[in-house]
Amino acid sequence: MGNLKLTNVTKAFGALTVLHGIDLTIDDGKFVVFVGPSGCGKSTLLRIIAGLEDISAGGIEIGGRDVVQLSPAERKIAMVFQSYALYPHMSVRKNLAFGLENLKFKRGEIDTRIAEAARMLAIEPYLERKPRQLSGGQRQRVAIGRAIVRNPDIFLFDEPLSNLDAALRVQTRAEITRLHRQLKTTMIYVTHDQVEAMTMADEIVVLNGGRIEQVGTPLELFDNPRNLFVAGFLGSPRMNMLKGKVMAVGEAGVTIDVGYGAPLAASIDPAAAKPGQAVLVGIRPAHFAVGDEGLPFVVQYHESLGTETYVYGTLEGRDEQIIVHQTGHFAPRSGDLLRIMPLSGRVHVFDPDNGLALPQTVSQRSDAYEHA
Amino acid sequence: MSTPKATDLGGRALDFVMGIVEAPINGFERLMGRKRMPYLFLAPNLILFGIFTFLPIAIAVGYAFTGGTGLFVSDRPFVGFDNFRQLLQCEDYLRPGSCRESLFWTAVWNTLWFVGFNVAATLLVALVTALILNRAIAARGFFRAMFFYPVLLSPVVIGLIWKWFLDRNGLLNAFLQMLGVPPEIFLLDVGWSRFFVVVVSVWFHMGFYTLILLAGLQAIPKDLYEAAAIDAASPRRTLFRITLPLLGPNLLVVLILLMIRSVQIFDEAWVLTNGGGPGTANSFIVQYIYQMAFGSDLRLFGLASAASVLMGLVLLALTLIQLRLGRKMES
Ligand SMILES: Nc1ncnc2c1ncn2[C@@H]1O[C@H](COP(=O)(O)OP(=O)(O)OP(=O)(O)O)[C@@H](O)[C@H]1O
Ligand SMILES: [Mg+2]
Repeated sequence: MGNLKLTNVTKAFGALTVLHGIDLTIDDGKFVVFVGPSGCGKSTLLRIIAGLEDISAGGIEIGGRDVVQLSPAERKIAMVFQSYALYPHMSVRKNLAFGLENLKFKRGEIDTRIAEAARMLAIEPYLERKPRQLSGGQRQRVAIGRAIVRNPDIFLFDEPLSNLDAALRVQTRAEITRLHRQLKTTMIYVTHDQVEAMTMADEIVVLNGGRIEQVGTPLELFDNPRNLFVAGFLGSPRMNMLKGKVMAVGEAGVTIDVGYGAPLAASIDPAAAKPGQAVLVGIRPAHFAVGDEGLPFVVQYHESLGTETYVYGTLEGRDEQIIVHQTGHFAPRSGDLLRIMPLSGRVHVFDPDNGLALPQTVSQRSDAYEHA
Repeated sequence: MSTPKATDLGGRALDFVMGIVEAPINGFERLMGRKRMPYLFLAPNLILFGIFTFLPIAIAVGYAFTGGTGLFVSDRPFVGFDNFRQLLQCEDYLRPGSCRESLFWTAVWNTLWFVGFNVAATLLVALVTALILNRAIAARGFFRAMFFYPVLLSPVVIGLIWKWFLDRNGLLNAFLQMLGVPPEIFLLDVGWSRFFVVVVSVWFHMGFYTLILLAGLQAIPKDLYEAAAIDAASPRRTLFRITLPLLGPNLLVVLILLMIRSVQIFDEAWVLTNGGGPGTANSFIVQYIYQMAFGSDLRLFGLASAASVLMGLVLLALTLIQLRLGRKMES
C-alpha cells in the first residue's frame, strides 16, 4: 500500500534547518507534486521519504509501517533522479535487472518484468545499449523503467524532466501521467515548474522556506490560494496585485476602493473585513474584461501568441506593472487607454500584514472550471 | 567554503601576470602566425625532453652496438650484435647458472618475481586504503597526508631508515625481543630480505597510487550509490558491480605505472640490501646495468647499454599492450 504519512518531519544540516516540521498525508494511488522555489527543501523532503537522508525529528510511515529506521531498499520505493543516475558501465538491460538481481529474483521473473517495462516505455530497441549511447529522452525512459521493474509502493521523481528540451518535456510529462493512470501507484513528483505541477498533479504541495504553504488540487490552489505566496507562485503570468482599502462591508461581500472611483466587489466573508482596512487585491491576468468601464489601463506593449495575447501596461498614473490576458488576436497600440473590469467572483483579497487571503463567502470557482 | 577574498586575490594575481606577458605573446603571435603558436609553448619542454631523455636513449642504443671500455664513441669499436648475443646466450633460461651472463639472468628472474609481488601487493594496499579514505572517516585529511608522506622522501633515505629498522640491533628486533621472540638478521636471510624489499617498496609508493585511485573514486557520481542503495545492492555488490568497474580506467593507469616502476626497482633496494644481498638474492636488472657500467671499474658500457635497450623494449611492449587494453575498455 502506497500511502504516506509524514508527521512533524524536521531536517537540519548542522545549524541550518531546512525543513520545519512537515505534516503531510498522501493517499494511496495519488499523484502528488511538490512545488516551490529553488532551495525550499523539495529535494530534501523527497530524499527523506526515500531514506537517502536522515531526519532530525518526526515520523514517516509508508503503508502504515514506520520506516524511519529502514534503509531505502526496505521502504519499497523507487526513485528517478534528476541526473537519471544510470549505471554507465551497464547495458540498459543490466541497469533494469540490477535491483531485481540484488533482491534475488528468478531469472525468468526478471526477464518478464524487463520485457514488460521495456514495452511500456518503448525502449525495447535499446536494451543492449549503454546509457551513453542513448539520447537524453531515452535515458529518461530507462531511468523510469528501472523504477517500474521494482514494482514499488511509491515512485519518487526529482525534477525528472529538467534536462529535456521543451518539446520532449511536454511529451514525457504526458507519458508519466499515462503511466500513473496505468499503474495506479502513488507517485511523488518534485518540480519547480508550475505548469508541470498544474497539469500532472492530483494534489499539489506548495513548499516555501521549508514549510508547507498549502496543499490541494491544482484548481483549488489556483482558485483559492491561501496566501500571497501561493497566489504569486501558481499561475503564469503571475497574479496582478493592487493596493486598496475596504469601503463597505455588506451581506454578500465587501466593496474595495482601489482608486479611480470604480469600487470592486469581492465575495469576502463580512466577518473577516472591516471598513477602512488596507488590503491587497489580486486579479489574474485572464480575469479582466476589456470594455467601456472599469480601471484605466495604459498599454505599454503586447505579446501575441496567436491564440492569446498578453497586454502589458500600468494603471493610469501608477507604476506597478499590470498584465491583461485576452484570447485571440488583440493589438492595442502603445499608449492606448483601455478600460479593464475584474470578473465578478474572481477578485482575491489579501491582508498585507500577514499575507493571508481573507476567507471567501463561496469558494471562487466558475462553472467552466468545475471538476469532480 | 573558501573565502571570496582568496579567489579574488588569485584572480588579481592572474590578471597581473597576464598583463605582463600579454604584449610579448601578442608580438610572437604576429611574428609566427596563430597556427604555429602552440608549438612555441611546447618548445621549452620539448628541448629539455630532447636533451635529457631522447638524446640519452639514442646514445644508449648506439653504445649497445659497440665494445671496449672507452667512454667516447670515437674510442669504441663497432661490434654489431655481440653484446646482445652475450646477454641472450643461454642453455636454459630458467637456470641463470647455465647462461653466459648468469648475473643478468639472475637479475631478470629476481626482477620478475619482485614485479609480480610488488604490483599485486601495492595495488591491493593502495586500493583498500583509497576505499577507506574515500569514506567519511574522522581525520581523513590527516590520514591522506600520512600515507602520501613517504612519497616525498628520497629513496636513499627510505633505504637507510628501513635498514636501521631491520638491522640486527634494529628497532624490529628490539621489539621482537620484548615479546620473547629470538632476533632475526632479516637482511641476511634470502626470504626475509626479499619480503622486506617488497614491503619497503609498497610502503614507499602506495601513497602515490592511493592518490590516483582516490581521485577516481571521488569522480564516481554520488547519486549512483544512492541509486544502488535504492536498488538494494549489498556493500559487497556495490563494490564489485559499481565501484570497481567505474574505477577501471584508474586501476589501469595505476597498473601501467606500477609495472613500469617496479621493473625499474633499484635505489631503495640497493641501499637496503647493501647492493643486492644476501649474495645476489636482491640483484635487479637496473642494478646489473649500473654494475656493468659503473661498478668496480668494469666499464662495460656496451653490455650495460644492450641490457637497458632490452629492458626498454620490454617496458615499451608492456605500455603498448596496456594502452591497447585501455582503448578497448573505453569503447
Ligand atoms: N547536504 C546538504 N548539506 C547542507 N545543506 C544542504 C544539503 N542539501 C541541501 N541543503 C540545503 O537545504 C536547502 C534545501 O535544499 P533542496 O535541495 O531540498 O532544495 P530544492 O527545493 O530541491 O531546490 P531546487 O529546486 O534548487 O532543487 C537548501 O538551502 C540547501 O542549500
Ligand atoms: Mg532539488
